[in-house]
Amino acid sequence: MDYSILLAQAVLNGLVIGAMYMLMAVGFTLVFGIMRVVNFAHGEFYMLGAFTGFFTYVYWEIPFVVCLLIAALTIGILGMLVERTLIQPFRSDEMSGMIATLAISVIIQNGAVLLWGPQPRAMPDIVTGTLAIGPFSFPWSRLVVIAAAALIFTAFWLFMQRTRLGRAMRAVAQDTETALIQGIRVNYIYPLAFGMSVALAALAGALMGPVFSVSPFVGLTPMLKAFVVVILGGLGSVPGAVVGGLLLGMIESFTATIFGSLVSDILQLLLVILILLVRPAGLLGQREA
Amino acid sequence: MRGFLKVALLSTACAVSSYSASAQTLKLGVLATLSGAGTAWGMAMQGAAELAAEDVNSKGGLEVGGKKYKVEIVAYDDHYKAADALTAFNRMVFDDSIKFVVGPLGSAPALALLPVSTENKVITMTMAFTPKALSAEYKYSFRPVIPSDVFSDPQIKWVVQKLGARKIGGLFPNDESGQQVGAANEAAYEAVGAKFVAKEFFERERVDFVPLLTRVLAKGIDAFELNGNAPQTAGLLVKQLRELGFKGPIIRTGGDATADILKVAGKDATENVYVHQPINTDSPAIQEYTKRFETKYKTPLNAFSPFFYANVQMAFAAMQKSGTVTDSDKVREALLGLKDFETVLGKVNWIGEAQWKSNQQLDAPFYVALLKGGAAQVVAKCTPKVCE
Repeated sequence: MDYSILLAQAVLNGLVIGAMYMLMAVGFTLVFGIMRVVNFAHGEFYMLGAFTGFFTYVYWEIPFVVCLLIAALTIGILGMLVERTLIQPFRSDEMSGMIATLAISVIIQNGAVLLWGPQPRAMPDIVTGTLAIGPFSFPWSRLVVIAAAALIFTAFWLFMQRTRLGRAMRAVAQDTETALIQGIRVNYIYPLAFGMSVALAALAGALMGPVFSVSPFVGLTPMLKAFVVVILGGLGSVPGAVVGGLLLGMIESFTATIFGSLVSDILQLLLVILILLVRPAGLLGQREA
Repeated sequence: MRGFLKVALLSTACAVSSYSASAQTLKLGVLATLSGAGTAWGMAMQGAAELAAEDVNSKGGLEVGGKKYKVEIVAYDDHYKAADALTAFNRMVFDDSIKFVVGPLGSAPALALLPVSTENKVITMTMAFTPKALSAEYKYSFRPVIPSDVFSDPQIKWVVQKLGARKIGGLFPNDESGQQVGAANEAAYEAVGAKFVAKEFFERERVDFVPLLTRVLAKGIDAFELNGNAPQTAGLLVKQLRELGFKGPIIRTGGDATADILKVAGKDATENVYVHQPINTDSPAIQEYTKRFETKYKTPLNAFSPFFYANVQMAFAAMQKSGTVTDSDKVREALLGLKDFETVLGKVNWIGEAQWKSNQQLDAPFYVALLKGGAAQVVAKCTPKVCE
């Protein structure tokens, strides 16, 4: 295989997994930035999104865009309910809140195994064929993931920057008490932020379902990677999550292509340690006062 | 009054003894995985035992030594765990006094209970692929399914000669099983003149193989080997290989995974894929068995089931030949003496003397199939020596 083809393939694959890590990490860091909660159940909402995408696309046979919207809406609403009933009681106690999310993670995963069984399910491709540009050929199924992730992130960014609700969320993230004095109803912002965060995870899950497969355990790896990404990019920083996600995807793709899977895992984590030694707050994070 | 009681007791005793004389029961154990992962295999074994029992019971029972025995199936779930298998097996041997067992299923359960089955002379029909499941020491352990160390050499030789593939690549799980399969496969390919130019290992939870496959394809391989991977993973590998533009042959030397490969990768991606096939699905006997199994259990037939059905039929024939259902030594001798026994698989025999110093391995034909238009078509029939 030509060296340039190898390189192009590594870039494309890095962008695909980087896009997934980005969507996962943005939601994960959003919840931490606003609520100071590390949501250990984030990967399970990715899995629920993948299953929602699977069932709606395979059984209802509706356009995939509608499946994505259904996944984001249903899982987002579920997330809001979870926040309201199970996380809100621990709002003043970060440690208990984290343990609660851990418990939610176990409940959702085991519930999925009971409901749908442990075996992976194959989801048909939403688009087939490859895009051939000269000697390079890129599968459409992967190009769609990159485009969809870019669109989803743009919509999220515009919401956060241009809408009153987005501005309110950013205000709560910066200083909850001042936001309260300004009349922002924090009790509405928290479930909304949590719902949006898990809706992003659900979208990532539904997007990746056709590329890989769907099972109750698919959320584990993206969750672990989201952790690495937010530490790399800076805990609580949305731009950091984007940069970190794409960077980790690229590093993973290039190291696995050049050195193989086992060396790739070692190199990724070594790099994270190195970055934290040089910049303990992450690439775009800010030191807490 | 006392006289009446005596008569009543006597007549009751007579009734009981005459009932047991007319309804002799032969208990056949099933020790397999009946819940969780591996249930499909356990169902295949239990179904085989039940269908074979149904055959004889519908004729009034199995006639052995002038008596008719109604065959009763006693099934226990081993949860695919050695400890649970041993507990269930002890129950079969000591509480239920069972002498013939369909099972155990996995290698770890098989190894755990072999000393108990040998000491208590219980004939087992195992699915364990481990070479340690059969030996002259474990003389009551029989294996009706064909393990990979029997079928891989002739199949690989045929594929390499037919395809002319010289440079082979493959991805294997990074655990003991994957490492072993990888090493065995490399040796098998190199023995027939091909070279394993790209061999990569990955963690089992991985689903994105594109970077690793890109690395493998960069070595200019002629064919890709799927052996050692779970059925779903094999499907993902085929799908991602084709996405990367690889049009060469893909070979599945390992256990039956055709249904999953087709389901995951789709019809178009599975053209030019060669798979190991334990049974000939074009055979009328297999088609009839499949129909019977699927009608009764409402689930697709797992290809291992007919092997256990054949083994149970052979055990019944051995009981009839030896005239006993309790002396497992005599039944074992009669079982080993069966030659060219007609089954749904065709004519079968026992082999294994050269490899395990004992003929306890079923010898049945197996097949290489080519996937075409979303279906498997048999392209070669194999024996442990050669595929043609």
